[in-house]
Amino acid sequence: MAVLADATLGAKGHSPKPLRDLLSETVVLTWRLLLGSARTPMTLVHGVLLPASFLLTLKVVFGDSITTLTGQNSLYRSVALVALISAMAGSSTGMVGINTERHGGFLARLWALPIHRAAGLLARVGAETVRLLFTTLVILGAGLVLGFRFHRGVGGALLWVAVPVIFGVAFAALATAVALYWPKAVMVEATQPVIVLGATFCTGFVPLDMYPDWVQPVVGNQPMSLAVDAMRGLSVGGPVWSPMMGCLLWCAAIFLVCLWPIIVGYRRASTS
Amino acid sequence: MISLTATRTSPSGIRQWRVLTMRLIAPTLRNGEVAVGVAVTVAVTVSLYIPLNRLMDGPDLKMSSYAQFLVPLIVLQAISFASISTAFRAATDSVQGINRRFQSLPIPLLMPLAARITASFYRCALGLVVALACGYVIGFRFHRGSVCAAAFCLLALFAGLALALLGDTLGTKSRDPAATAQWLLLPQLIFGFLSVGIQPLQRFPDWLQPIVQNQPISRLVDALRALAGDSGDGVAPVTWSVIAPALAWVVGIMALTLPWTFVVYRRRV
Repeated sequence: MAVLADATLGAKGHSPKPLRDLLSETVVLTWRLLLGSARTPMTLVHGVLLPASFLLTLKVVFGDSITTLTGQNSLYRSVALVALISAMAGSSTGMVGINTERHGGFLARLWALPIHRAAGLLARVGAETVRLLFTTLVILGAGLVLGFRFHRGVGGALLWVAVPVIFGVAFAALATAVALYWPKAVMVEATQPVIVLGATFCTGFVPLDMYPDWVQPVVGNQPMSLAVDAMRGLSVGGPVWSPMMGCLLWCAAIFLVCLWPIIVGYRRASTS
Repeated sequence: MISLTATRTSPSGIRQWRVLTMRLIAPTLRNGEVAVGVAVTVAVTVSLYIPLNRLMDGPDLKMSSYAQFLVPLIVLQAISFASISTAFRAATDSVQGINRRFQSLPIPLLMPLAARITASFYRCALGLVVALACGYVIGFRFHRGSVCAAAFCLLALFAGLALALLGDTLGTKSRDPAATAQWLLLPQLIFGFLSVGIQPLQRFPDWLQPIVQNQPISRLVDALRALAGDSGDGVAPVTWSVIAPALAWVVGIMALTLPWTFVVYRRRV
């Protein structure tokens, strides 16, 4: 808070260095969001406990069937899938936060301060990235304990970790856009079926040829499947380039489509 | 206090119960609770049946189709979602202070609970109907006559009652709607997946099989499966040795929850 006060004092009138101010303001606000989520036990439940239990359950229930069927440890699918689920579940809790701050008047208060208009939103992206990195590493740790290994070196591992983070930022953009235009409590419950359907119609859950023929094109090309396929290629080996490109295209498209509605919606939420 | 209320005609218990129940049921169409309930059950059906049908189908299923195998679990999932909604409502009531207001009114102690349980029964019935409709679409049929079909529904609703009681008490105690609903997803997920409702017992790892076989959801699935029957003869007949463990679990959960419910409700908030 002290830093925030300094930043606002420093920005009295027209600041000669708007970009440097933007950076420092974003850092302060990001830190605020991260502290907030670190102090909310639900973040831990969502980001770590639920997904880790789900990973264990998948391993115990379907692990043997899928390993026998594909000749490849099922963990290379399920760890990737669970990392994505954890990214999505965390975002849907996070977007309740933006509505709480809207109704509590915090967004309006930020708007009244002499800080850069973009700082609030950039801080959300920053905090989201840190959170995604944290949950992905935790899920990866759980996977490593169960027997997941990287076979394509450090580069593969780093890219593997980057995929859920990129995917998560795109999903968070979608979630924020929806939350800004549909500020209802029932929202979180409404996203749960979306996550469940996305996760179960995904090559991370069951191999593609196990799905009925008519649904295979949908399953194979939805963003979560592409992300899982790319992550599987990066860990155990296999095609990486084409699923990776597909996944990045999806994420970029979702992000770009949501960007303008978010900017407009955030302004509206801050000023109404 | 007593003299004040005694001068007025106090409304009958039935009327209080009806009013408090309608308070919960009337807004469900408008606030999206019904829509979410239907959507969740449809989503569970679709997301379990379509991906797992080919993977799970096999001779060791001992049943005519995976649909016939899976529907008892879908019914139980729908019912436990209803109890999560109940927990959510109970926690909302508790934290918004309406329970405290009820305590200051001439209402019997457990009347708000009775009303919420009734509303939960309505949600369970709704979930059951939607689950059976979904089951019908994927190929589930009752093969053992109308009495067994009715018993199927009654057992499912009875299980719903126990879960509603548990959910309501947990919600009232926790006073945090969002957290309660999220926490309850975890046992639902674990009990649902680690049960014979999703795949035959012998496909689980050996060390886990005793737990899987005897946990409440598995026992309920066994009983429901027997009551639904099958076109082949792979399903156990309807006997006490199949039904009794399921009933025992339901009664046991209620017997353990009820004293706790009294403790939670008697506490002045």
